[in-house]
Amino acid sequence: METKTSIDWKRVDSIIEKYNRDKESLLMILQDISDMYNYVPPEVIPVLVKKLGVRESLIYSVATFYKTISLKPRGKYILSVCTGTACHVRGAEKIMDALHSELNIAEGETSEDRLFTLLGVRCIGCCASGPVMNVNHDTHGGLDRSSALKLIEEYRQQAS
Amino acid sequence: MENILFTINSQKISCPSGTTILDAAVKNGIDIPTLCHHPQLKPHGACRICLVEDEKTKRLMASCVTPVMPDMAILTETPRVLNHRRNIVRLMMAEHPESCIVCGKGNRCDLRKIAARLGIGESNLYPMPNFKPYEHLNPFIIRDLSKCILCGKCIRADHELVVAGSIDYNNRGFKSRPATLHEMALEDSNCTFCGTCVSLCPTGALSARNTRYVGTPEKESDSICAFCGVGCTLTLGVSGNQVIEVNPSKYQGTVNGATLCVRGHFAGDFINSPDRLTQPMIRTKKEDGSFAHVPASWDAALDSIVEKLSEIKRQHGPGSLAFIGSSKCSNEENYLFQKIARVIFGTGNLVNGGYALGQQLIYFMEHKAYGTCRQSSLQDLENAQAILVVRADTDHEAPVVGYHIKRAAKKGVPVIVLDSRKTDVVPLSSVWLRPRISSKLGIVKSGVINSILKMILESGAQDSDFINRYTEGIEKLIQSMNTVDPEKIALESGIKPSLIEKAFKILKGKKIAIVIGTDILHYPEGPSMMDAVFNLALLTGSIGAKGSGFFFPLVKNNLMGAMDMGTVPDLLPGRRPLASSFHRETVEKMWQVKLSAEPGLDMVGFIEAAESGKVKAAYIMGENIVRSLPQSKRVESALKKLDLLIVQDIFYDRTAKLADVILPGATVAEKSGSFTNMEGRFQTFFPVVNPPGNAHADWEILSQLSKKMGYPEQYISVEKIRQEIRRVIPMYERIGNHRQDWIKNNDLESPFSDPKKKFVFTPVTFAPEMPADSAHPLMAVIGSSRYHLGSGSRTSRSERIRAFAQNGAIEISPSDCVSLGLGDCGKIRVTSSCGMIERQFKVNPDLPSGQVFIPSAVNGNDAMNLVDLIPPGLSGVYGWTVCKVSIDKI
Repeated sequence: METKTSIDWKRVDSIIEKYNRDKESLLMILQDISDMYNYVPPEVIPVLVKKLGVRESLIYSVATFYKTISLKPRGKYILSVCTGTACHVRGAEKIMDALHSELNIAEGETSEDRLFTLLGVRCIGCCASGPVMNVNHDTHGGLDRSSALKLIEEYRQQAS
Repeated sequence: MENILFTINSQKISCPSGTTILDAAVKNGIDIPTLCHHPQLKPHGACRICLVEDEKTKRLMASCVTPVMPDMAILTETPRVLNHRRNIVRLMMAEHPESCIVCGKGNRCDLRKIAARLGIGESNLYPMPNFKPYEHLNPFIIRDLSKCILCGKCIRADHELVVAGSIDYNNRGFKSRPATLHEMALEDSNCTFCGTCVSLCPTGALSARNTRYVGTPEKESDSICAFCGVGCTLTLGVSGNQVIEVNPSKYQGTVNGATLCVRGHFAGDFINSPDRLTQPMIRTKKEDGSFAHVPASWDAALDSIVEKLSEIKRQHGPGSLAFIGSSKCSNEENYLFQKIARVIFGTGNLVNGGYALGQQLIYFMEHKAYGTCRQSSLQDLENAQAILVVRADTDHEAPVVGYHIKRAAKKGVPVIVLDSRKTDVVPLSSVWLRPRISSKLGIVKSGVINSILKMILESGAQDSDFINRYTEGIEKLIQSMNTVDPEKIALESGIKPSLIEKAFKILKGKKIAIVIGTDILHYPEGPSMMDAVFNLALLTGSIGAKGSGFFFPLVKNNLMGAMDMGTVPDLLPGRRPLASSFHRETVEKMWQVKLSAEPGLDMVGFIEAAESGKVKAAYIMGENIVRSLPQSKRVESALKKLDLLIVQDIFYDRTAKLADVILPGATVAEKSGSFTNMEGRFQTFFPVVNPPGNAHADWEILSQLSKKMGYPEQYISVEKIRQEIRRVIPMYERIGNHRQDWIKNNDLESPFSDPKKKFVFTPVTFAPEMPADSAHPLMAVIGSSRYHLGSGSRTSRSERIRAFAQNGAIEISPSDCVSLGLGDCGKIRVTSSCGMIERQFKVNPDLPSGQVFIPSAVNGNDAMNLVDLIPPGLSGVYGWTVCKVSIDKI
C-alpha cells in the first residue's frame, strides 16, 4: 500500500534556506520536513547532503536517534499513547489494547488507510490528567477505553 | 606552556597542561587498559575501561578524556577501580555472543584480553546478546555487529582519518550500532573498503575476509606496501609460509598512520596466486617443432643468458642490448640492474616502467626546481595555508594522499580543485574550478592559472622578497600578462569569473601546497600547465617552506627510487644528467669505466628499435610491458622480433610468455631492500615469508648474474649494494639501515644556497588547439580505479579484487547517454583512431558532458589499445591517458 509521497521541493528548499543551510540546524530542518508529511521522505536525504554538506550517514544517524523523526511513512494522525509510570498505573495499557484492536496495528505501525500511526511514548509531562494520549500536537487526558475509541472516530470524521 | 606536577601510583610526574591522564601514564610507562582509545583518534571516553581514581577527591574518572590537574594523586589499580572495570566488562560480556571458540579475532581480541587480565571467567549476568545479521557479501570485510561493543573506533576512523563518512551510529541505547544510510550493505554505500575500521576494531565485530588461507597469524612482521608511491608501512600476519593478513603498522610517524587503502589492505593476496613463477625456464624446441618453456636450473638459465648476451654484444655492439628496470623493484635491485647494464654490458639503453607514470613529470620539475620539490612530507599538508589540487584523482590513484588532503580540508585548510572531473576531494573543497570539455581545454586550464597570476600581480600580493632573492624573469612574466584576458578565459572555460576571483582571494598572500596528478603530462595542456603552476609557486614563494611546494601522488611504489638509482636513459645514479661531462666523469671515476654521453633509448624508442632490428636482446625486470604499454599487439610483435628476451618477473604473464629465458623473482614480502616513496622517504623491508618454489629475490638473481660475468662476491648482500649506493649517490649518503630515513636534497645546487642559481619564470606558451575530430567527438580519460593499480598485473591476481567483480564499466555523462541514445546500461563499443574496445557502461551524473571515463587495468588493460604508442609529454599531442573517441551501442 506504500504510495510515494510527492514532495513539495519548493517548501523543502525554503526550510533549508530558513536555517541558512547550516548543518548545525540539521535536526530542526528534519523536524520541519517531518511536520509537512509526518515523516521524513528518504528522497530528501540526497538533497540535504548536497545543500548542507553533511554525509548521508549522519542524517540517518540523527533521524534514527530521535523518536519524533521517522524515515518510514506515518499516518495523518500520530497517536502517542503515554506509557509513563503515572499513566501506566491509571490504565494506559487498556487504551493501548483498545487502539490495537480497533486499528488492527501493533505499536510503531501505521493503519492501512494511512490515517493513524500508533506509538507508545514515555512520560509526556501531564501526569495529573493521565492516562494521556497525544494526537499530533493535541493532548487528550483522562481517557478510558470508550473515550479513546470515540476520539478515533472523531478524527476519522475530521479526515473524511 | 606551564607544566603540571602530580602523581600516578605515587610516582611523581610532570607534564604540560592539557595532557590527559592516560597520555601522561603511557609516557611514563604506566599501563592503563583501554578499549575505545587510539592515539591517532580524538579521545572519546566511550568504554570507561580506563577509569582511575584520585586519592584526594575519591573521584573516579575516565583517564583518556580527563586532563591532568595540579596535585592530583592518581591511583590506577585500587580495588574500587578494578571492581568498576570488572563490572563494565561483565556488562559488555552479557551482551556479547558466546562465540569466542570460532571467532577469527581469537586471542587478539582486546575485550577477551582485558577480561582475562581482570580475572573474569563468567559474567554471572543474565545474557542479553544483541543479535544482528552477519554480513559477508563483499570479499573484503565481514561485519558481525553482534560483537560490537560501541567503542566507536570504526566511526571515528571513518570520520577523522579517512574522511569518508560512510558509517555513523544509528538508533540509540541498546539498539545502537555503526550503520550506513538505511543500514545498507557496505558495498551499496560510499565505503571504499580501505579497511581502516577492520584494523582498529577491538573485537571480532569487523574482520578481514580471507580467501585462500584462513586462521590466526602465528607471527607479525613489518613490511612496506608495494602498490602506489605513498609507501605505507604494513604489519603482515603470517601463518606457515603464507601472508594471511595485512594491517597498518603500529609505529608512530609513518606516512599512513592507522590508515590503508583497499589495495594495500586486501589486494596483497596476489602473492599467493597460482600464476606465480616458481622456477627458471628456458624456451626450448620440442620434438614436434613447437616451442615450450621447460624448467631449468638456475645455473643453466643464467649461463645461457651470459653466453647469449655476450654473443649478441660481440656481434652487434652494446647498442643492440636494452635493459628495462622496474619502478616496483627495490633501490638496490635497480642500482645493480643499471650497473650491470652500464658497466658490464656497456649499454645506456635503460628505462623503467615508471617512464609513463610520472617519472617524466618529476624530471620536468627537477630541471625547474633544482630538486627542491623532492621532499615534501604529506603530514605537512594538514598544516598548509592553502592546497591547490590540479587534475589529481587522489582517492583512486594514491588514496592515502587523498586522506591527507581531506583531513586538511576538514581542519579548515582551504582547498581549491582545478579539474573537470568531480573527484572525492571536491565536496570538501572551498572552490571547484571546473573547465568545460572543449578542444581549447589546453588553453583554458593554464589560462585559469594565468588569470589568478594576473590578479596576484595587479593587487601586488606577490612575495616580492622571495622573487627578488631567488628568481629571475619576472619581467617576462609581467609582460606576458598583457595578453591574458581573464574575461575571455572565463568565457571559454565556462568557469564563472566570480569563482576564479574567489580562488585568487583564497590563494593571495599564502604559501600554497600544489598537488598535481601524475598523468598531467599526458594531456595536451600538460607542459603549459606545469609552467603556469610553477609560476604560481614562484610568485607566492611556495617553494622551500614547510607545508608548501609540489606533491605528486605517484602510482608506483618505487618510481622515485628507480629514477634516483639511474634506471633511466639520460640520468646517471643520483639524477646526474648523463649529458653533463662533469657528472659523467664523477661517475666514471667511481666505477672506473668509460660512459657514453649518448642517452639510451626510452620505452617507445626501445619498441621502435626492436621493430627495426636495431635492438637484438632485452632484459626486462619486473615489468609486464605487453600489458602496460599502448598497443599491446604491436609491443608483442616487437618483442617477438628480438633474438633474445629475458624476463625476470613474478607472474607467468603476457610478457613472460614471449621470453626465451624466464627468471622467477620475488615480491616485497619475500625479500630485503628499500623503496623511496613520493615524499623522498627511504624505507627498508625484510623477508617475511620465503619465495615460492625455487624463486629468488631479484637482487640475488642480479648478484648471481654479475658474479657469472666476472664480478665475484661484490654484491653478496643487500647491505653491500647499499654501501655502494651511499658512496655513489650523494642524496643517499646518509641512509642507514633503519626502518625509515629521508633522502637528502643536494642543497648546494639550489638557489637557496647558491646566489648564482635562480628559479626562472617561464611565460606560458599555450598548447596548440587540438584539431577537431568529428569522427571521434568525445574526450576519453583513461584512469585508475581504487581497486586496481597501474596496468593491473598484480591487482587482477588478487582473489578478493576479482571477487568484487569490477567489470570496469565505462562511465558516460547523462546528457551524452541521451544524445547517443544509449539508455541506462548495456554494452558499447568505444573507437579511437588507434583502436577499439567493447565494454559495459554506466551513467555517471558527475561527469561533464563530452567526457567519458574508462577505467584502466581491467580486461587485460585493453584500454591502452585506444591510445597511440608515442612518447608522452610532447606539446600538442594526446598522451597515454586521454584520447578522442566515438561510442556506439552494440
